[in-house]
This record gives sequence, C-alpha cells and structure tokens, in this order.
Amino acid sequence: MELIGLLNYALFMAIFIGIYALLSLGLNIQWGGAGLFNAGIAGFFAVGAYTSAILTSPAADGRLGGYEMPFYVGWAGAMLAAALIAWPIGKICLRFRSDYLAIATIGIAEIIRLVIKSEEALTNSARGISSIERPFGDLPYVSSQAAFLGIVLFLVIAAYFLVQRQFNAPWGRMMRAIRDNELAARAMGKNIEYRRLEAFIFGSALMGLSGAVFAAFNRSITPEAIDPMVATFLVWIMLILGGSGNNKGAILGAVIVWVIWSVSEIATDQLPHEYAVKAKYVRLFLIGLMLQLVLRFRPEGLLPERTTGVTRPEDEKSQ
Amino acid sequence: MSALLSMNEVSGGYGDTQILKAVSIEVAPDEIVVIVGPNGAGKSTAMKAVFGLLNVRSGNIVFDGDDITSWAPNKIVQRGICYVPQVDNIFRDMTIHENLEMGAFLKSGDLSAAFDRVYELFPDLKDRPRTLAGSLSGGQRQMVAMGRALMLDPKLLLLDEPTAGLSPKYMDQIFQICRDVRETGVSIMLVEQHAKQALAFADRGYVLAAGQNRHEGTGEQLLADREVAEMFLGG
Amino acid sequence: MDFMELLNFYLMPGIVLGCIYALGAIGVTLIFSILRYAHLAHGDLATLGAFLALAIVSGFGVSPLAALPVAMIGTAVIAVFIDKAFYNHLRERPKIVTVMASLGIALMIRAVIQVVWGVDSESYVRGIVRPENYWGLRIRDREIYTIAFMIAVVVALQLFLGRSKWGKAMRAMSDNPDLALLSGIDNRKVIILTWLIAGGLCASAGVFLGLNTELKSMMGWHMLLPMFAATILGGVGRVDGAVLGGLIVGVAEELSVLVLPSEYKTATAFVILLLMLLVRPTGLLRGKVL
Repeated sequence: MELIGLLNYALFMAIFIGIYALLSLGLNIQWGGAGLFNAGIAGFFAVGAYTSAILTSPAADGRLGGYEMPFYVGWAGAMLAAALIAWPIGKICLRFRSDYLAIATIGIAEIIRLVIKSEEALTNSARGISSIERPFGDLPYVSSQAAFLGIVLFLVIAAYFLVQRQFNAPWGRMMRAIRDNELAARAMGKNIEYRRLEAFIFGSALMGLSGAVFAAFNRSITPEAIDPMVATFLVWIMLILGGSGNNKGAILGAVIVWVIWSVSEIATDQLPHEYAVKAKYVRLFLIGLMLQLVLRFRPEGLLPERTTGVTRPEDEKSQ
Repeated sequence: MSALLSMNEVSGGYGDTQILKAVSIEVAPDEIVVIVGPNGAGKSTAMKAVFGLLNVRSGNIVFDGDDITSWAPNKIVQRGICYVPQVDNIFRDMTIHENLEMGAFLKSGDLSAAFDRVYELFPDLKDRPRTLAGSLSGGQRQMVAMGRALMLDPKLLLLDEPTAGLSPKYMDQIFQICRDVRETGVSIMLVEQHAKQALAFADRGYVLAAGQNRHEGTGEQLLADREVAEMFLGG
Repeated sequence: MDFMELLNFYLMPGIVLGCIYALGAIGVTLIFSILRYAHLAHGDLATLGAFLALAIVSGFGVSPLAALPVAMIGTAVIAVFIDKAFYNHLRERPKIVTVMASLGIALMIRAVIQVVWGVDSESYVRGIVRPENYWGLRIRDREIYTIAFMIAVVVALQLFLGRSKWGKAMRAMSDNPDLALLSGIDNRKVIILTWLIAGGLCASAGVFLGLNTELKSMMGWHMLLPMFAATILGGVGRVDGAVLGGLIVGVAEELSVLVLPSEYKTATAFVILLLMLLVRPTGLLRGKVL
C-alpha cells in the first residue's frame, strides 16, 4: 500500500517536473539563447491552459467554447494563442534593451490575470473550467498517470531536440554572439530584431503548451491554480541554477528545484497551521535568496553553456 | 632632460588581447608630443594605457617620479593627468559651466581662478556659460571637453584626436589653444589622424605601427623622413 | 456629469494617486538613468516602507505623518544595504542580470512582509474620514498632505540636482558615466546617494498609498507597472518627467473607469507604456532610451 502511494507520488511529481521542464526550455530559448528577459512566464502559461480548456471542454451555458475537440488540437491551439500574444509585445519591446521587455511582460501577465478573473464569458471567472479533455483519462488511475507521464516525457524530449538543434544551428551561434554584446547587436539592426522575435515567440509557445498540459493533467483550470509570481520565479531559478544556455541544464534545474520546492512543501505542511502558512513565505524567501547566491557564486549554473566556437567578449559590460 | 612622463616598453591590451608591444614614449615638461600612425597602430590605446584604462602586462609608466602603472583613473586624475576622450567627451545635458565644474570635481574650495583661466583660454565659451553643451557645434564641444580637463590644473593633458571631424579653421584653433595651454605650464600628449599638420605644430612626435614604436624625433625630422612620409603621409 | 463631479470623483483621486506614482517613479527614473537598470523590486520596497511606518504608528502611537520620516530613513538605509549585498557585485556583468536579481529581491522583500505582517489588509487609522468641502471641491486632509509632500519633494530634489555639487555629480553619472569617472567623480558615493534618495521616496510612496487606501502585502507590486509607465511616459532620467508621467497615469487610471470595467483600471498603465514605446520611446520630455 505504502509502495503504491510512493509510486503514485513519484508519477505525480515526474509529471510536474515535465511541465516545468517545458517552461524552463521555453525560457532557455528566450533568455539562454537570445538574452530576452521574460518576467511574465505565468501569463503565457495561463493563456495556454485556458485556450486548450476552451477548445477541449464540453459545452457550457454562458461561456465561449466547449468545442470538445481532441486534446492535441487544444494543445496546438494553446501554443498558437501564446505565440499570438507574444508577437505584438515582442514587436514593440525588442527594439530596446531587455529591461523594457521585462516590464512589458510583467504587464501582460497582469492583464492576462485580470482577464481570467473577470471575463466570465471566456474563462468562467473564479469557478474556472473543468472537464478538460485528458489523454488516456479513461484508464485506471495508475496506468492513466503513467501514460500521461509518457506523453509529457515525449513532449520534453521533442522540445529538447528541437531547441538543441536550433542552438547548434547558425541561428544559435549568431544569437549567442549578439546576446553578449549589445553594441554588436545594435549594429546588426533589423535582422537581429527579427531573430529575437522568433526566439520570444517560439519560447512563449512552449510555455503555452506547458499550460495546456497542466490543464489537461488536472482536468480543470481556475484562476487560483497557479500563483503567477511564484510560478514565474520558480522557472527562472530552475534555468539559472541548471545553467542558462544549456538545455540539459534547463531540465536538470527543473528536476532539482521542483523536488526541493515540493518536498519542502510536504515538510512544512506537517507544521501547525499557523506556522505552515508562514513557512510558505519563508520558502519563497529562500528561493529568492538562492537566486542571489547562484548569480553571485555560480552564475553559469550547474551545467554551464558550451561555448565552443563562440568568442565571448571579455568586457561584457553593456551600456 | 628628466621626463615628466615615461612609458617604458609597455605591452598590453583590453582583456587578453595584445595591442601594444613594448611601446616607449616620453613627454618632457612643457612639451607637446604627438603620436601618429596608421589606423589600428595602437595610438589611442597607448594613451589609454597611461590613464589606467588598459590591462598592462609588462613595462611600466612613470609620471613625475611615481610609478602609476595600472592606477585607477580617479587616482591618476588627482595626481595631475587629465584625459579628453575622442568621443563622448562632454556632459551633453549639462551646461558649459556645469561641465567645467565637473572637471574640477576633486577640487574643493573656490573655483573662480580655475574658471577664469579656462574661460581665458576659450573666450568662445565665456559668453554663454548656461548653454547646454550638447547643443554646441563640434569645435565648441571640443573646447568644452578640453576646458573640463584643464579645470584641475593638470601637469599633463592627454588629447585623443581632438581635431577629428573638425573643419580646418577649428583644427588650427585647437592647435593654437594647445600652444596657449602649453604656455601655462601644461605638457600635452595627443593622438592625431592629421599627421602632417600635427607634426608641423608639435615639439616632438612618435610614429607607431602595429602596436610598436617605428620612428621618433622632432616634428621637423619626422616630416623630413622619407620613410615616414611614404608610410603615413601619402607620399 | 457636471464638472465638479468629474473633479471630485475622478480628477482629484487621480491626482492624489498620480502624486504617489510620481514619488515612486522618481526613484525608478534615477536608478534607470544613473545605475542603468530597471529596478523591479521598487514596488515591494515601497510596501516595506509602508509597513515600517505601520510598525511605528502601532508601536509608538504616533500619527502616520510623524512615522513617515523614520520609515523613509529606514527604507533608504535598507535600499543601500540591498545594493551592497546583492546588486553591487553584479556591476560588471550585463545590466539585465541585475534586473533579474531585483526580481528576486522583490520576492524576498514581499516574503519578509508576509511573514512579519501577514497577508491581511491593514490601515494606519481606523474609521472613515469624510472629505472637507472647499467651495464645492471635496478633499480630505490626507489628500492635501500627499499633494503638498510630493510638491515639496520635487522642489527640493530639483534644487539639489541643479545646485549642489553631489546633485550635479548624479546628473553627470546619468549623462556620461565614463566621463564622470574620468573626471574623478566617485561613483560609489553617487550610487549610495541615489539609493538613499530613491529608497526614501519609495517609502513615502508606500506610506501615502497606505494612508489613502490600505496596506496590503501586494500593494507595491501592483504599483510597479504604473511607476514604470510614468517613468517612460515622462522620459527616463527626467525627474520632472516622472512627476508629469505619474500624474497622467494616475488621472488616466481614474478616468478609465468611465469607459472600461473598473477591474481593468490597472491595464491603463500598461497601455500607456506600450503606446509610448511604440510612438515616442524618449518620453514626453525627451529622456534616455536604454
């Protein structure tokens, strides 16, 4: 009995790690590949979750959607929707230094949160959307979980190879060269803007996919399902700790950070309620501190980027 | 002759790069020394080495009896060397007067003597101290930049291509100001693209090429040297 | 709706809110132009200032206005400490790394507030304050204090930046950092000064927001977007721009409820931000574009 419980928990955790690995890989394209600062990861995640929910859930009164489409249509739709939101933001902000993108993505995530909370006709507001199509949802519990994990693993591996191929292509070499040298980037002008936009859109689409997988896994999505700031921040620490620019690092970071995060949650949940609530914030504080320490003492992460063939300018100071 | 500044076989560059290869340059008190050479010869780099902006790997730089190799720029400023970069050498959003004031940042007490001295050298600036420096013409900006550097009464002034992009009229004016500045007891080391005109006006010159000393001598000697003429002065 | 109604229910609250945004935006614009990065922890630093004042108000039974200077000094010192401990050593790295560090600091500050003060709403003074009526203009004392404080701060800061040696050094660093170093300006001191000013003003924004509304652990984070919108609208590096931008964003947010559902009030700042980046990234008063 105990063993089954443990197995179930391991499956559950592995699926979540997969969902975060997709986010982390998406961020790696943006930050690791192109030096773009996306502080609104949770926003693109939520767009994906709700888009797939609207496309795949059964019809309901007073709400858009309920098309009962197959899950893969929903997931593709999620990627498309996240990409469509990323496009204008990137178009406007990528002409400037990444600081502006950081602020704008905080803004778009906030707007998305507001829309989800208030647009009943679209998202069913606080009650959220349920009965979302879940692949292999009809199997018995453990096999269903295992099958779902299979799908998630397939997606993570597929995403890994896609991103990896892109990084090794001339695209990746060019992006790394300009990422570290703002002046060179500016000199190259329009072409670079377009490449950056590609990176931003492609990364955001992966984040949208991750949201769709999350919604399908839970079979439902509500505005409270994820804390935007916490989710965004966890993904950042995953990538930075794992090693930005390195796709294996992005996945490794997702594994380590998620295990620490969820195990510490289980541990603190044993505390009396009064302390358990505070413990959540202490954990947040420690995650924030962890980022500072990694930035200071191991900025390249656990698995550093392989920089063969790329000369990094000694003077990285960007003005 | 004891030199005010002597760079002795300085090698180094930015980060790991090697731009200067055993470059030696001397500047005597009250002397105008010009460094000329083709593009990429390391002229500006040699000047930056003096100002502590370079990674010097061997050799040393002695100024007025002190070994200043790799000192921090603000310490070098205090010691009596002021530097005027080729570009971005003014505070655009500040007035002429404020630009000069920032030049004297390390000085405490009354600045009026320093202001008088600079305004005397640059009468063009005196009439409109409240004009924003960024709104001035190229030649006037160069004057603001030089004026800022002179506010601390340096013993040595480093000018990186002060006449770049200026009309011949302004070029003559800048050279004339350099002579006037020298009269007040300041030595000048400058880097120049306009080799012919600069050698004609300077006391001594150095020709650098590929990060190494090539020729040195008085301006006249260098101008008369056939090899120098062929290499850099267009025959 | 007649003019007085528009003034009393939309413009006045907008101006008060705008003054609060301006106090925060001044710090954002100084840090953006002198230290050259977007400081994403600015909102949560304001929250910290507001709660520090709350601790003084409830601990010593003084009025919020008496607690204000202490909270400002406390926050200013904390801001300098945060810079020393977390931002300063990232100086030689690309600036965006510091932006990321500041996002982490935002989370850390908020976590501290949530542990110490919890997540429930608090207020400095209990009970409802009715506005005074001045010839039809309805305004509360606290609103007058907010506006007067902002005006006083801006006048003092402009005098400081325009007249004093260190104020000019701050402008010089913002204008041309390399040349400032060549001129012998001690950039470490300028950085400390910048954080003292930005931190103090940031705390005052938090205190006045708490005074005019209520204190919540998320209050500052929700101010971040309006503060940056105000900064970019006015022109990065311009103190007068930050004030103008703050006032416009504040009034626009209050007026937006005439055409938009009130849930989307905070979207106004976002729209202003994107519009400015699209049509005039230097801002109304010609600031920098980094």
